[in-house]
Amino acid sequence: MVNLLMATPDPTVVERVERAAEPAPTPEPAPASTFQVKNLSVWYGDKRAIDDVTLDVASNAVTAIIGPSGCGKSTFLRCLNRMHELVPKTRVEGTVFLQGEDLYSSDVDPAIVRRRVGMVFQKSNPFPTMSIGENVVIGLRLNGVRSQKFLNERLEKSLRMAALWDEVKDDLHKAGTSLSGGQQQRLCIARALAVEPEVLLMDEPCSALDPIATAKIEELIYELKAHYTIVTVTHNMQQAGRISDYTAFFYLGRLIEFGPTTKIFTNPNERQTEDYITGRFG
Amino acid sequence: MTPHRHILGTFDEALASLRNNVLMMAGLTERSLERAMKGLFERNDDLCANAIADDEEIDQLEKQIDKDGVDILLRFQPVASDLRRVVSAMKLSSNLERMADQATTIARRARKLNQHPQLPEVELIRPMYEHAMSMFKDSVDAFVREDVDLARAVVPRDQTLDDLNRAASRTLIERMAQDPDQLRGYLNLIFVGRCLERVGDHATNIAEDAVYAAAAEDIRHQGVAAST
Repeated sequence: MVNLLMATPDPTVVERVERAAEPAPTPEPAPASTFQVKNLSVWYGDKRAIDDVTLDVASNAVTAIIGPSGCGKSTFLRCLNRMHELVPKTRVEGTVFLQGEDLYSSDVDPAIVRRRVGMVFQKSNPFPTMSIGENVVIGLRLNGVRSQKFLNERLEKSLRMAALWDEVKDDLHKAGTSLSGGQQQRLCIARALAVEPEVLLMDEPCSALDPIATAKIEELIYELKAHYTIVTVTHNMQQAGRISDYTAFFYLGRLIEFGPTTKIFTNPNERQTEDYITGRFG
Repeated sequence: MTPHRHILGTFDEALASLRNNVLMMAGLTERSLERAMKGLFERNDDLCANAIADDEEIDQLEKQIDKDGVDILLRFQPVASDLRRVVSAMKLSSNLERMADQATTIARRARKLNQHPQLPEVELIRPMYEHAMSMFKDSVDAFVREDVDLARAVVPRDQTLDDLNRAASRTLIERMAQDPDQLRGYLNLIFVGRCLERVGDHATNIAEDAVYAAAAEDIRHQGVAAST
């Protein structure tokens, strides 16, 4: 029989016991933020789509934006890389800082913003006339990169990061549209990663995918957050719970609640958030 | 507490069914404890047999609640207050089942005691019984009505029950020394006291789960301070 008193204590147990005896740690400092959004309002013509939203997006974390259709989720996401400016009669008030730099300053080129803040859309949209390889490096080519060696290296790196390399490495010359839906979406992620953005915005990236392809994208998002700040819009509450560190709930253009995902999904502060995530809305 | 209905009516129905089964199980457990204790105080073996028979139905309800709870987790992936309600209901049923086991043990001890002339010391058990049952009813009430204050108030009352049990045990051990012929009877009474003390422990657990369900706060293992 083992003498429990004489046995060497399990170091993890000792550590736990010692940690328990220590005084409670001081609260963790607020995480570094990639975006600081202050009093952002957006109008499409006379219609106010975003109403005075203030929110910091944490670096190297996944922030999920949830809310019913028409609540301003996608508009908010597009404001983070000035993509909404492609819609006529759009007007923005407030400020969006990316790493401390005002994105809406008059001397900032929207094309540069969109290079720093990549975007993946709901429906995968590989360029139909291009091969898999061309789809990935087109952004670099358009930015004037000519070195084939550099392009090849970036092609492999981007496809590896998008967890697609092993599946397509022998078919790089084939059309991007020859891939399955899930592969096409990962191809679009690889295309966004190729220009080495600082942030990845995703607008319902899995809504057109089957559960297996969805799981792959979710796993990819989890891995990518080590290198990128990710903001994703999703209608799938369980997905928000699975993949995100922070969740923002929008309703009628207003930010109703923002906080750690575990808090939002276990004990939200706002009644409207609770009603929405528990399926009582409307 | 949450007046709005879910968009999915079947989700509301599943939650209501789970809650009803918990209420039914609590009702049966209360009845079983009352029958066992009445069987002891009134020396009624039929009531003891009824208490023992109740256990089977309570066991089945525990299994049903676990199954329904898992089904709800699987089908509806509840979050926030819904998730807490489901998890708490499943934990509640486990505590109720153990309470019913205590009722069975009490009934068995009572049947043994009933075979011999009544010991006047049985009255030592009555205040414990009343205290334990009041804790039990309040804890279930707190859960049902999502009354956080009532639930918190139950937790420190367990100390009184522990004190009553210690005092009764001490007296009964003294009696054993004075009257060894009644040793078995006194021992059975000590066991009944211990069962009631455990009923108080389970009532405390239920009260703690009620606080978690209603206020998302885990007050377990924090001493009396946390409950006030």
